[in-house]
Amino acid sequence: MKHSQLKEIIKKKASKIEFAIVTNLENGLSEIYEPGKSLSKEFEIHKEQIDNFYKLKKNGVIENTEIFIETYIRPIKVIIVGAVHIAQYLVDFAKSLNFEISIIDPRGYFASEQRFPDMKIINKWPDEAFKEIETNENSALIALTHDPKIDDPALQHALNKKFYYIGALGSKKTHENRCQRLKEAGFKNEQINSIHGPIGIKLGGRSAPEIALSIIAQLVSETYKK
Amino acid sequence: MKNSFDEKILEEANDWLNANQKVVLATVIQTWGSSPRQVGSRMIVNETGDFSGSVSGGCVESAVVRECISLIKDNKPSKKIEFKVSNESAWEVGLACGGEIAVYLEQIN
Repeated sequence: MKHSQLKEIIKKKASKIEFAIVTNLENGLSEIYEPGKSLSKEFEIHKEQIDNFYKLKKNGVIENTEIFIETYIRPIKVIIVGAVHIAQYLVDFAKSLNFEISIIDPRGYFASEQRFPDMKIINKWPDEAFKEIETNENSALIALTHDPKIDDPALQHALNKKFYYIGALGSKKTHENRCQRLKEAGFKNEQINSIHGPIGIKLGGRSAPEIALSIIAQLVSETYKK
Repeated sequence: MKNSFDEKILEEANDWLNANQKVVLATVIQTWGSSPRQVGSRMIVNETGDFSGSVSGGCVESAVVRECISLIKDNKPSKKIEFKVSNESAWEVGLACGGEIAVYLEQIN
């Protein structure tokens, strides 16, 4: 592989473009594949199989050939509501797992750049903030403020957009009240029950990094279920 | 659905190249039976044998490093190697887990 090609791959990854790398294992030639774009002759004859691997988001060698395909998919978007202490640790875990994080917090003193260097922080109320983030069923929400004024609109947005993971921090009692409010807002039990609350797997820890670990463990586990 | 968890090995390879190091990229291209790392797992090696990432659970990394260094020395562009189930006499280059893997090595230049 040429260094220039490696740079192009890294650039595509950074701009969240989905693509695949096809490599001829016999002669070492490789190319970047994107749907709709044509490949050179030696790869074009395997176009159908390459398309199949790409659609299934699979890595591997095409049967009876020496062509290897590796697909790259967009990182999962995780929206954290509440730029609190736990969020600072979540950001660290999420980075090494390649989640794409956005933090929403209307309270400027929490959402400071000094507390979250190099992070995308939206210093607005959730209803306004979500206008800036494209979300869908491949998105996840972690609500950490346990303040209904801030968490509830975010939870409602996530439920409406069918996020695959929705978690909300707070005690059992807090969560019961939250569920009641969502019910009154017209959400169905099935939707409300899909919220992970109290958030996180049972780890036993109570410190901010331990809670962050229990949340991220649940998020990864749910990512594999979808 | 495939997850997007990524180990940033390609980004690290770019850093090494920018620091004028010679870099070989090793990628798991096929697995049979129980193997510790999935297809697409990656490792990079430079001319002095420094490495980052993994292609197994530590079972064959030392052999991969040796192969990568000779690829650089012989100035070859690429090579495919297979690792099979280990036995007592060849424990160092086998997979204790009983799986088999094929690894593709390629120089980046």
